[in-house]
Amino acid sequence: MCAGDMMSRLEAMQAALAGKPHLKRLGALFSDTVLFEVDGRDYYLHFHRGALERIEQGPSRKIPWQFALRTDAQALEEFWKPLPAPGFHDIFGLVKIGRARIEGDILRLVRNLRFFKEFMALARGDAA
Amino acid sequence: MTGHIEAITGRYVNLDIGGVAQRIYFEENGQGTPVVCLHTAGADNRQWRFILGDEDFTENHRIIAFDMPWHGKSLPPESFETAEYLLTTETYMQTVLAFCAALGLEKPVLAGCSMGGRIALQLALHKPEMFSGFIAIEASDFQPAWYDIDWFHRPDAHGGEMGAALVSANIAPQAPNAERWNTQWMFMQSGPGVFRGDLSFYTRDDSLVGKLGGIDTAKTPVHILCGEYDLTCTPEDAKRTADAIPGATLAVMRELGHFPMSEHPMAFRPYFADALERMRAA
Repeated sequence: MCAGDMMSRLEAMQAALAGKPHLKRLGALFSDTVLFEVDGRDYYLHFHRGALERIEQGPSRKIPWQFALRTDAQALEEFWKPLPAPGFHDIFGLVKIGRARIEGDILRLVRNLRFFKEFMALARGDAA
Repeated sequence: MTGHIEAITGRYVNLDIGGVAQRIYFEENGQGTPVVCLHTAGADNRQWRFILGDEDFTENHRIIAFDMPWHGKSLPPESFETAEYLLTTETYMQTVLAFCAALGLEKPVLAGCSMGGRIALQLALHKPEMFSGFIAIEASDFQPAWYDIDWFHRPDAHGGEMGAALVSANIAPQAPNAERWNTQWMFMQSGPGVFRGDLSFYTRDDSLVGKLGGIDTAKTPVHILCGEYDLTCTPEDAKRTADAIPGATLAVMRELGHFPMSEHPMAFRPYFADALERMRAA
């Protein structure tokens, strides 16, 4: 997956998030920047009160982030299938099978875990 | 009458467990071979709601599921407000044995999931004569935590909501949406520190390691069930456990995760039926 495709995917997730009032409510206290790394390419997801305000492409050494999810495009394609294979069905599953790493302030992720996991799953079913 | 009243009944039994008075809530349905069902960490007996109501099982079995102290409708003991809840192997075994004795159950089948599966294996080792067989679901000899159990008991966050979001990783994607969320609701409702205290037992007590070979399945059968989507007790963990118990059998369950009887009851029931048949045949 090229960087443009991933940006399109993230923008679609951004729009889908805006259409989910329950996620807006769940994410009301979530105003963090998340580093999303796919195949070595960096995307900075700037959340503000449960909305994805801005997506910035890296690399950058100047943008602070609170936690990072690092994975690969092939794993994401499986993750975003309607019925992913065991291990690919959850971001912690990806970590457990060695296809993703979560770094940074993990407690900030855990405190907003339902919000972030549901955000990540917004592309489910859209995978090629 | 337009409403459907289910056949399940709920009552309380008052027990002395290690010198502590406990009022235990339990539900039951059916007649025949008693089957005592144990819930997972951070949840309660509602996880067994479908098995309790399934006539194919209750026709020949007395299905019983109780809430551990601190869980569901079983209140914590007196002075809980200053106590740190930490479940131990000894207290857990005493609780199961006291419950079975109070109900006058003669050699019930013990079916436990997750931490309930762990204690089933402990009882298979230490008190096999009290049971006619063990169905150990999502069970292994030991599971170290892949998370920090202290996350689930903090003054600045809702442990139940975090716990539910975490355990959702263990639910198979095939689970019907309603039951996926009913399964998580129990974690959301769990009392402060209870999930943490259960996980302390589940992820820190390694007293079963190296002792599985002492379980005599010639006297009491052990059947292990494990969902293919379980990230906590993986099929590899279950196989390692089954391989260490001479004569134990294992079924890896398709399209199921760590809460099979609750997250997807229709997918679970053939595996549970097979497990009960194995107990009967032994």
